[in-house]
Amino acid sequence: MSTDAVAIIGFVSLFVLMLLRVPVGMAMGLVGVTGFGYIVGGTPALKMVGQTSMRTVTDFNFAVVPMFLLMGAFATTSGMSRELFRAGNAFMGHLRGGLGIATIAACGGFAAICGSSVATAATFSKVAYPEMRRFGYPQSFSTGVIAAGGTLGIMIPPSAVFAVYGLITEQDVGKLFIAGVLPGLLAVCMYMITITIIGYSRPGFLPAGARAPWSEKLAALKDVWATMLLFIFVIGGIYGGLFTATEAAGMGAGGAFIIGIARGRLSGAGVRRSLLDATRTTAAVFTILIGAILFGYFLTVTQTPQKVTAFLTGLGLGAYGVLILIMLMYLVLGCLMDALAMIILTVPIIFPVIIALGFDPIWFGVLIVMVVELGLIHPPVGMNIFVIKSVIEDVKISTIFYGVLPFIVTDLLRLTILIMFPIIALYLPSHMK
Amino acid sequence: MAETARIEIRGGDDWVPRNRMDSFIAAIELIAAFFVGLVAADTFVSVLLRYFFSFSIPDAYDFGRLLLGILIFWGIAATSYRGAHITVDLLWANVGPRYQRWLDIFATLVLLFVVATQTYTLVDKVIGTYNDNVLTFDLRLPTWPFFAMAWAGDVSAVLLIAIRTYRLIFNPMAMARDQQEIKPVE
Repeated sequence: MSTDAVAIIGFVSLFVLMLLRVPVGMAMGLVGVTGFGYIVGGTPALKMVGQTSMRTVTDFNFAVVPMFLLMGAFATTSGMSRELFRAGNAFMGHLRGGLGIATIAACGGFAAICGSSVATAATFSKVAYPEMRRFGYPQSFSTGVIAAGGTLGIMIPPSAVFAVYGLITEQDVGKLFIAGVLPGLLAVCMYMITITIIGYSRPGFLPAGARAPWSEKLAALKDVWATMLLFIFVIGGIYGGLFTATEAAGMGAGGAFIIGIARGRLSGAGVRRSLLDATRTTAAVFTILIGAILFGYFLTVTQTPQKVTAFLTGLGLGAYGVLILIMLMYLVLGCLMDALAMIILTVPIIFPVIIALGFDPIWFGVLIVMVVELGLIHPPVGMNIFVIKSVIEDVKISTIFYGVLPFIVTDLLRLTILIMFPIIALYLPSHMK
Repeated sequence: MAETARIEIRGGDDWVPRNRMDSFIAAIELIAAFFVGLVAADTFVSVLLRYFFSFSIPDAYDFGRLLLGILIFWGIAATSYRGAHITVDLLWANVGPRYQRWLDIFATLVLLFVVATQTYTLVDKVIGTYNDNVLTFDLRLPTWPFFAMAWAGDVSAVLLIAIRTYRLIFNPMAMARDQQEIKPVE
């Protein structure tokens, strides 16, 4: 059988196994090793399993994942989200749609210390949703804002998705984090403008709250020092060349722990819960990473990336034509698959195409995270939507999807801007020490 | 970072071990969680000492990566038992409970096969490390005990997946309690 036929059978088997709910990492590992074994031989294939598994889990660069997860878990357990929302509300609550704007600002702030979109969405479903409803905001808008705000978790550094992309493409994770700063801030601004437009185009739809006195504003601002300190410490350390991304993750986890303890916000049970949360997520991420690396050997022996590159570059669409085709593919895949699985499965194949087309790998990483963000909120499997539904039980899924529609349009516009102006993502990394 | 999702387990924070099996699973998770804290503490302290006292903890790097290996395999054990791996739920979400159970059983059997194979192949790696007398960089400590401990995590994963398979087939009600409701990633 030709290697092309083996590759096709491998991909079909992989999708069938995933459809039958075999864990993505395990399906990739099984297909990868079986395919590799068919072409190269059973003994080397089995040897590869032990060697690759152990090498992956003892690569210290990969420790960036559990430690940033731990930092986010400590921040979540310490209740920093509530302070951020209070500060946002004190400054912007009096505007039309002000509570929505405050939610976006708080989500952006929380994203700066927690790299999880799901965690951001779950947290603000508890913190911001009751307030928005109390002020008469419609259910669809309130949940839509939280779903969109939640996506900031993976764009604004630190971000697990950036880390995983960096690890599988061997790009500098620190540079990727810094590259996400300006696109993340652009997202915050564009979401706020969207809310303002909705607020002013439909009077009475998003009522304004009372204007907070300056004393309250200053008091609220004083409470967010911990978040600001942690962000400046971690991201400033990476930008200034003080730490590697892995060291920054350790410093962030240690810093979040000390701040939580010093402020009396982290109990023994809270620490235990944070450690368990970080462990569970780490195990899920590493299972898929090991599977992806094993599958990568299969791709190598079948020369799939080279063949896909030759096919796509031979289409005559031009570099940007191929890029748009790839983005469309990701948007479609986002309807079917979990975001992280989508990245780990496709990037080893697509990445050589991007390099062959002459695109910047850091910029492409930002674009990938953007489309993954969209996948988190667009139907039918938007993860953030389901998370919000699990926290706010009396809301219909269709209501949340309706509420998030304006933000999907905003995201598509932002994706276009990022494709047209790569400098937005690349300016800060080019000035790193 | 991505994701530390607040993971909701049915029963949430009130989840308490009911019997020996539950205690065993909770203990495995706690072992992995302890190592996550240890890796972070190792990194935090070694960076602080380097900047403020120009002192490096001997083997901080080697300890960090070897502890990472241990935490991952012990973490995979608990994650596999709870069914918290990243999966594509497109088909599963659109069929009835009876077919969902069959899909779960099939997926768990595949999981058992893959992890058992991995555990078998890892023995070679542990024995190889022992025979080659691979040492840490600074303190010249043997690394095989760390590899053996990581391997023990994989063995416990096989055991827990076997228990999960048994429970899914013969006692699905017991299993439902320990399932994760939210996928923790992203």
